[in-house]
Amino acid sequence: MRIEPLVLGIETSCDETAIGIVETALKRSKLSLKDIVAVAVTAGPGLVGALLVGVASASGLALGLGKPLYGVNHLAAHVSVDLLTHEMPVEPTIALLVSGGHSSLLQIDDITSSVIKLGESMDDAAGEAFDKIARVMGLGFPGGPAIDREAQAGNPRAIDFPRGLTQAKDWATRPFDFSFSGLKTAVARYLEATPDYVRPDVAASFQEAIVDVLLLKAVAAARSTGIDSLLIAGGVAANSRLRLAAQKRCDEARIRLRIPPPALCTDNGAMVAALGSLMLSAGRAGSRLDLEADSSLPVTTVSLP
Amino acid sequence: MSISLAIDTSTSRTSVAIIDQGALLWHGYRDGATSHGSAVPALVAAGLKVQPLIGQVVIGMGPGPFTGLRVGIAFARTFAMARTIPVIGVCSLDAIAALVQEKNDFIVATDARRKEIYWAKYQGGLRIEGPSVDRPAVVVAKGFPLFGEGAVKYSIAQSDEEQFPDLIALVTLGENLEMRVDGPLYIRHPDAVPTRERAR
Ligand SMILES: [Zn+2]
Repeated sequence: MRIEPLVLGIETSCDETAIGIVETALKRSKLSLKDIVAVAVTAGPGLVGALLVGVASASGLALGLGKPLYGVNHLAAHVSVDLLTHEMPVEPTIALLVSGGHSSLLQIDDITSSVIKLGESMDDAAGEAFDKIARVMGLGFPGGPAIDREAQAGNPRAIDFPRGLTQAKDWATRPFDFSFSGLKTAVARYLEATPDYVRPDVAASFQEAIVDVLLLKAVAAARSTGIDSLLIAGGVAANSRLRLAAQKRCDEARIRLRIPPPALCTDNGAMVAALGSLMLSAGRAGSRLDLEADSSLPVTTVSLP
Repeated sequence: MSISLAIDTSTSRTSVAIIDQGALLWHGYRDGATSHGSAVPALVAAGLKVQPLIGQVVIGMGPGPFTGLRVGIAFARTFAMARTIPVIGVCSLDAIAALVQEKNDFIVATDARRKEIYWAKYQGGLRIEGPSVDRPAVVVAKGFPLFGEGAVKYSIAQSDEEQFPDLIALVTLGENLEMRVDGPLYIRHPDAVPTRERAR
């Protein structure tokens, strides 16, 4: 994937493969390290050991090449990946970031400097809920694609599963937060109480409950901020029902919708490179070479100084 | 012999040096068992200001605690890749043993945390046993004088000098093909598995 200016992105979890990732990326793009103008790396949030090794690999490259290093936020990188496929700037936009590790609603005025957190999951991430329900239904791992497939033949209105944090009092106190634990319990109880349950119907109804609540809150966030753009990113953005329903609801609400192609929704180096490239284009200063990876980096910190 | 950038992150001390023909052009270190990640690039950047032209990277391959060790090795490999220069690995304990003034057999030990030490036994300057990881008492029971950070920490050291890998020794050892090590020496045995000392 060629983006201008050319930035190498490292989203890695172990040093044994860091070199391999870089070599593969260069081979695929038919570029050499000499073409790189900057190095970008995930500085957080994430597992501390993996982050430290990724940052060390990136700083070795940057120092060896004499090029700037950008230590960037993993969540902001998820949002940035959309720029690989859409030419137009995304800002300002509401971003719904949904994956196995995070479920957040963000307001993005400038992806290189201003990200505001509107809400997040109080318990499980959306992807985690998919994984757990897929397991109790015997559908295997990862749960998202498995439930998506099973739901194709099911009726999404067969069972009325609960939509977490959508009562009147919730809209008043935490309008943009999510909770999936009640839904998880409801599905488990239903399966227990219904020995002859129709698996596709359960999968479709569970999926519908998640998709419904995600989009209810995303559209509400756009309305309340007056921002008419929604960007959906993260692994769960690959879900076919979410993609379809999001288009329908955004059309109705006159919101411009962007969702990266499924292959770019999961964690990848390209999203880190994309954010690095945006930082560079915006004239933002690089990070210190001895930047400290932060396993709990807040989403509002787009890059480290 | 070209100018070497030497790095070791196998102990609580992150050491970096630039060495030319066995002579120390620049040396810096930072202490802290969890600071390897930021120490390595900061130290290397400082060293490169003194001598930017590096011909090879020599890296201590441990044994050492997992993350710190991996940070140093990852940095060494990508730096070498960026410069298209070779990277040479050496057992870090050997670079401590090289400075030990002891005629008889002796043991070098570094801190493995979790109440264990990494150790290796030397005879006439050559490693004849290890590297291994064990409880200090098990290593003491072998009856040889002990050196290194791991021995000092548990007050079983012969001397409190030669605690950390010597980077001039690291580079000199790296010139000898037989002393080279290709990958990281993690060697930690799984906690759940009963080890030799329990069988004993
Ligand atoms: Zn992610």
